[in-house]
Order: sequence, then C-alpha cells, then structure tokens
Amino acid sequence: VSGALFTVGKSVAPVYGLEKATGELRFPADMSLPNMLWMKILRSPHAHARIVEVNWAPARMIPGFASILTHHDVPKVLFGPYQEELYPLDQEVRFVGDTVAAVAAEDWNSAEAAARAVEVRYELLPPVRDAEMAAERDSPLAVAYMPAGILARPGGGRPATPIDASTNVLRGDALRPTVINERGDIEQGFSQSDVVVERVFRQSHVSAVAHEPRACVALYDRGQCTLWCSVQDPYQLQDAVARVLKMPKDAVRIVSTNLGGAFGVKVTGRFAILAALMARRTGRPVKVWFTREEESLDSHNRSALTHYVKAGASRDGSLLAFKARTFLDNGFWIGLGENIAQAICTRPMDLYHRCPNVKWEVFVVRTNHPTTGPYRGRADAESHFAVEAVLDELACAINMDPIDFRLKNRLREGDDLCSAPGKIVSTVWLEEAARGGAKAIGWERRLPVAGATPGPRKTGLGMAMVIHSCGSNPAGTSEAEVVIDPQGRISLYSGTPDQGSEQQTTLRQMVAEIFDIALDDVQGCNADTSICPYDSGPFSSRTVYATGIAAARAAEEAKRRLLEQAAILLRREPGDLVAGKGAVWARSEAWRKIDLGEVARRAGGSIHGKGIHNAKDDRLFAYGFAAAFAEVEVDVETGAVKILRLVSSHDVGRAINPMIVEGQILGGAAQGLGYAMTEGFCFDQRTGAALNQWFLDLRTPSILDMPDVEPVIVELGEPTHPFGAKGCSEISYVGIAPAIANAIYNAAGIRLTELPMTPDRVLKALEETRGSGV
Amino acid sequence: MGVPELHNVMLKINGSVHKVAVESNWTLNDVLRNRLDLTGTKRACDYGGCGSCTVLMDGVDVYSCSMLAVEAEGKEILTIEGLGSRDNLHPLQKTFALSYAAQCGWCTPGMIMSAKALLDREPNPTAEEVRCALSGVLCRCTGYTSIVNAVLEAARIMRGEP
Repeated sequence: VSGALFTVGKSVAPVYGLEKATGELRFPADMSLPNMLWMKILRSPHAHARIVEVNWAPARMIPGFASILTHHDVPKVLFGPYQEELYPLDQEVRFVGDTVAAVAAEDWNSAEAAARAVEVRYELLPPVRDAEMAAERDSPLAVAYMPAGILARPGGGRPATPIDASTNVLRGDALRPTVINERGDIEQGFSQSDVVVERVFRQSHVSAVAHEPRACVALYDRGQCTLWCSVQDPYQLQDAVARVLKMPKDAVRIVSTNLGGAFGVKVTGRFAILAALMARRTGRPVKVWFTREEESLDSHNRSALTHYVKAGASRDGSLLAFKARTFLDNGFWIGLGENIAQAICTRPMDLYHRCPNVKWEVFVVRTNHPTTGPYRGRADAESHFAVEAVLDELACAINMDPIDFRLKNRLREGDDLCSAPGKIVSTVWLEEAARGGAKAIGWERRLPVAGATPGPRKTGLGMAMVIHSCGSNPAGTSEAEVVIDPQGRISLYSGTPDQGSEQQTTLRQMVAEIFDIALDDVQGCNADTSICPYDSGPFSSRTVYATGIAAARAAEEAKRRLLEQAAILLRREPGDLVAGKGAVWARSEAWRKIDLGEVARRAGGSIHGKGIHNAKDDRLFAYGFAAAFAEVEVDVETGAVKILRLVSSHDVGRAINPMIVEGQILGGAAQGLGYAMTEGFCFDQRTGAALNQWFLDLRTPSILDMPDVEPVIVELGEPTHPFGAKGCSEISYVGIAPAIANAIYNAAGIRLTELPMTPDRVLKALEETRGSGV
Repeated sequence: MGVPELHNVMLKINGSVHKVAVESNWTLNDVLRNRLDLTGTKRACDYGGCGSCTVLMDGVDVYSCSMLAVEAEGKEILTIEGLGSRDNLHPLQKTFALSYAAQCGWCTPGMIMSAKALLDREPNPTAEEVRCALSGVLCRCTGYTSIVNAVLEAARIMRGEP
C-alpha cells in the first residue's frame, strides 16, 4: 500500500467509545439470564494442603443453595491455558486462594453464604515459598500429588516431555537450569574486560489489576454449551470446555465480549470450566464473577524474580561478557514458565547482539505462591530492570554516555536472533527512538557525575532501552475474514477479543483503507467462536501486527474478487477498475459506478476474502524497540523519590491510529510506574497468604501519582506488515522501571536493585553508600 | 440462619421512582446492578478502593458499593444511564468517547460521574482541579492524560466556548 492514506494514520474515534461512555456496553459481569444461578468459588486458606473431606451439609441449610461441585464431582480431565495440567478441581490446594469447590445458589449473597458454610478438613503440607530454596535438592515439593500424564510443552519447537515430579525445577534440577543461553567463552570475556560489575536484583510478584474482575455466564441447553466470558483466548477455552465436558467442539460456543482490561492474564481458567460444569449439572444458567481478591490472586500475574548478574566491558565501550543466573518463582504450575524463561535469557542478549560472550541460566521453580504467567511486557519487564541497570553502571564506570554505550552494542538490521533461532530481525529503529527521546527529555542537561546536584533534594536523568515482541510470534496464528454482502456492507470477522485497547478500531481502519471507505462503513463483531475464524488471541502485542496482517490479506482477497466480478459486469479488465466509497468503476469511466452490493448480488451472493498469518516460516522477524527516559528528584533525607518527568519513545513502524498509539504508550507508562515505585505483593512468611490484594494497598498509580509523560512516536516503517505497523502496547511498560532506577543513580549515586523502589529501600541504599565511604 | 428481613424502599434513580424490596445489607451498587439492571455502574472492588462504581447522590459523587440501598432512600440518584444516551449525549460522554479517554471502559462511568460532580460545582476548572476531583477513581489503562483533557474539553463545550 502506497500513496496517500485516508484512514490509516488518522486519529479516528474508537468504535466502542460511545458504548463505553454511555454505560451501554455489556461485559459478562453485566449479563443475567432468566432463572440464572450465581456461583461462588470456595478458596483455600492454606498455601499447601490436601483436602481430606468436604462437608457441605451446612451449606444446604442456607436459603437459596442450589448445588456444589467438589473434586469428587468433576471429570478428571486435564486442561489449562498453556499446558494440559489442571483438573477442574483437585484433591490438593497449592496456594492461598487456590480453588477448592464451587457452590451455586439463587443469588450472589446466598452463594457467598453457602460457600462460607462449607466445612473443609485439610491435611497441611509443607509450603514452598522461596524459589531459590525450592530449587535445592532437599526442598519439600510444591506439588505433592501430581496428576498423572502431564507433559511439559515448552513451545518454540522444543519437544514435549513428561514432567519430573521429584523436583521443583521445571525441566531441570538443582544443578541444571530450565533454560540456558550461551555463546562465546564467558570467562575469557571477563578476563578481557577492563571493568566488571556484579549485582543481585530482586523483583516483586505484581498483579495486572485489570479493573473488570473476570466473569463468566454459562448456559447449557440440550447438548449445547455457551459461555460469555472475559477471556483473551476463546478458542483455547472452547477446546478445554469440549474436552472436560466430553462434548464435540462445535457444540461449545465462547463469546468473548469486550474485556474490561486484560493485559495478558485473562485466560482459560477453572472459573469458566466450573461454570460450564455447574450449568450442566443444574440445568440452569450459571454466573460467576470474581471479587477483587480473586482477580488479584487467581490471575497468573508477573512472577517474583531474583537475578545474579555479572557483566564486563572494555574501556572503548564494548560489552564483552554478560553472565546471569535467574530464579523465577512460577507458582505451582508449569504454565508459560519455560517460554517466559527462554525469552528472559535471550531477548536482552539480542538487544545487545554485539556482546560476544554470554551465559544466562534461568531456573523456573515451582512454589506455593499464586500461579504466574504473561502480564504486559512478558519476559522483558522481568529481565530489563537488571540488564539496563548493569549496562548503566558499566557506562558510568568507563565514563561513556549511557546512550552511546548501548547503541554501540545494539542489534542491527539483518542480525540473527538467539530468541528466534533461524530468523533475522527486519527493522531496528532503536537509534532513532533513543535520539528522539533524548531530545524530548533534554538529555544534554544530564550531569555525568552521579549525585552532583547540591542540597538534600537531588535531581537526575536516566534512561533504558528495550526490545519486546511487536506481534511477530511464531507460536501464534491469526485468521480473518472480510465479507462484502449483497447490501453492500463490508464486515470484518476476527477471533481476537478486544481487551480494552480498541484493537477493533485499528483492525477496521486497515480494512477501511483497503476499500477506501470510512471507518464507520466497516462492521465487525467481537470474538465469537461460532462466527469468527481462529485467532490465538491478543498476546505479545500481536493484534495490530499478526491479526492486522490477516485482516489486510482478507480484505485484499475480497477486493480482488470484487474487482473480478465487477470486471465482468463492466466488461473491463480487473486491473482497470477502482474500488472506493462503496462503489466500483473503471478508471476511464468514473461516471459509471456500480455499488458493492450490486456486484455481490449479481455475483450470486456475498463476496468473501480470507487471510491467515503465521510467522513460523518467515525468515524476517519484526521486533519492537523503545527508549524510556526519566527525570527524578531524590530526597536523601526522607528517601522519597519524585518522578518529575517521563519520556517514552517508540519504534512503532507506523501508527495506524496515533491517538490509540499515544494512549497505549501513556497507559503503559502508568503501569510501569506502578511496577517501579509502589506495586508488589507482600506474602505472609508464616501462612504464604498475600497481604495486599486490595486496591488500597496494591497501590496502582492514581491520577495524582502521574507525572508529566511525553510519548515520542518514531514511524519509519516495517516491511513485513502491509501498513508498516508494529505492536507497541506492552513495550511501553518495560523501560519505565529501569529508566527510573538509572535516574535515581544519576541523582543520588545509589543503585536500587529491588522492585518496587520504595522510600525505605532508597534510605537503605543511601546508608550502604555512606557506609562504604563512596 | 434465618430468612433475611426485607425492607421496601423507594429509590429515585435517574428521575424515576423505583420501589424495591431490599435486604438491609444490600449496597446501592447491588440494587442498581442486580435488581434494576442498571449495569452501566460498575464494580471493581466492592469496598471503596477504586471508584468504578461512582454515582451522584443529590449531586455529590459517592461510591455506590460503600452505601447501603436503604441509605439512598429519599435521595436523588444519578447514574451514567441517566446522564445521557447515545442520542442525547452529555458533553462528558462525547469527549470521553471521541478522545480515547475510555480504553477498556470499566472505570469510565465512574470517572464521568465524578467529573460531572466537579463541573456542576466548578464549570471552569484548572487541570490541577480536575486531577484532584478525579483522584477517587482509579484507571489502569489510560495513564489519565486523556481523561483530564476530555474533562477540560467537555467543560469548554458546556461553557459554550469554541
């Protein structure tokens, strides 16, 4: 596509905006069906226990009680969002908040009361709470009663293997990491280095905190099961329901309505499977809706991590050696742990591709903390805090500008990728993003000596560079269909749910562009497995990129067929024809137009076009790049850090809708700020329970916490996408915490190595620095 | 456990009177959402932690999850459904819809109702006043910039400025 564009590149109004602003939009939690029951999940108060007995006689006495499901009542079929590893209910509970049973009753209050009345007798098992200790050979096991037949499917072309139930380390053990990324000779790299730094980094387990607590309404009627559900992976859920309920797949319909925020964590889960089972058992519609506590804990959030890092560089600014050993607290399951670990140890080493010597080991460890998964910025938010701090420190040690040091060692167009073996990166607009961001923040004001501002309130500037998936994920598949019907309407069908970022708007803009029509003239629907073709779902920022490619291909095919049909009617060659504004005409006869509906009618019915995208066989691989900048003020007397300003600069290829791109960059900055400064679960050392699963103490940023944030959009294209776009919604999160940490160093001369960077940690770092006489 | 006692309350919501039988521990949010199907008012926490459930009571923005239905008797309640509709949009609804101030849409009704309370008492607020007035409603998607701009823009429209 070339030349002037009509819709793409314009900040057109989002398609769901009015429904949201009027409160018309119905989420699953807003639905009710006649004769509907409410289901409440009974959750474990223990981090690790075996269920000995469930006495539900007292629950039956609660007015309105309808039914209960315990682990005795459910099919022992394995399912899961990432691995087939969960029974719908199990005899063992593995974190505080794990699912014990499900109770249905006439309304919300009676379901809650009935669930409270159920008496459960537990046999307590030793809880596993520290990932590093859990990796040791003599550690108790986080899963004592492993269901038989679980295979670990690591993805990325690696073979599935039976799991080893005798260790907490996934596909490894105390000595053997789950994954390792190695190149060159690491010890030789250190011996050649002029400066070497060594640090330990710790990051807290954080929740995505989507504001819509997930919900599901299940209807089971005459062998057909329909679920209206807040999930990002409707086709995975369809498959899981069909397998657990032993139904044909086409008898299961998942309607994934708009999501009230998802950020990667709203996936196939027990709540939805149990709602389906309960609907079948009772013969009535069933609704389940999480409380905030449930949404915080049973949510598959970002794991807690410990990184032991050592890195070395030469005086001329070459990064010569990078060595790390990471422990990832995965919760009890396999989940996506190995996949995330693989990206942790490879992607930053692609970003700094020039570094010849690397050894990065990741131990993915089962614990009795809540399960973890991919939350916005999957794997890169996990790794960049450590990497970017160490690079900053090396740059300071050799008196080189941190931007120049990074750019000297960075990935370049056409380089091969250790994170995607066999593939080469297509475009790297990293230097442009870094220079644009530096200009916006006023980088030239940065004092090269840390802690140089006088007085107790010290200001400083810091930055970080980021690589992240922009949709080119070989594991994902997107299909789309574009239909021109006999009434002349153009509709886009895609199976990817809109998780709240208005991806539907962006997708329809691309279709509108291809047909040269207004956005309002493209119709569509949200994901519905009975209507829409397959899509892996909105993960890895893949919607605009992967689903976008599929949608554009579908539109191009529909347009080709349209022109072929119109060519017959107009007695012309298809190449002589133009489509636009709802009509087709020959270039030389602009006065003789036939409308799209007429072409479809005379062709005998709707004209279809299909498009598929899967990056598996592509040699070129697209990555997103960003540079984040922070200006901070550190009060060295109180430990308070004031964020004065953030700049978030992004290689987005091309912004299909600049307003949406900016909104994603600003939203990512807010969540990244939370990760940096305030968020993080505290777990009770005795019970293993999270102590701050509520809004007031989760401390996500409020409107008053937000500094001025300036987005910078770099649009230099991406040849693998029809409009040159890269996804950018997740990457905007990743650089914020390391940029702030580096700005704090520049301001006060202290290295913060733990997230969140709370005032007490700032004070502790100040004391240590004073103590060491620096 | 005994059968809970029901109270008949007359609730004035969006200009019309609803007679509802409620249990004493039902919140206004329960009644709006589960009895009257006014699901535009959201719930994200149920204990006054986020403001997604904000409605106006006698013109003041309150958390409907932290107020019992029986306490709302005799008061004028305004929800997002009563503020305006697709055919008759309130300027706040219009500016939020057009400017991507509503991303996922879950905090949006609460945000708009809180902003309405502000603009009713201060038609010409500064950006800082908007930030303070909306600090009782959390948003996880936008980073708030687009929300502040949408409120300022709606205020300009309501003042009749170009």
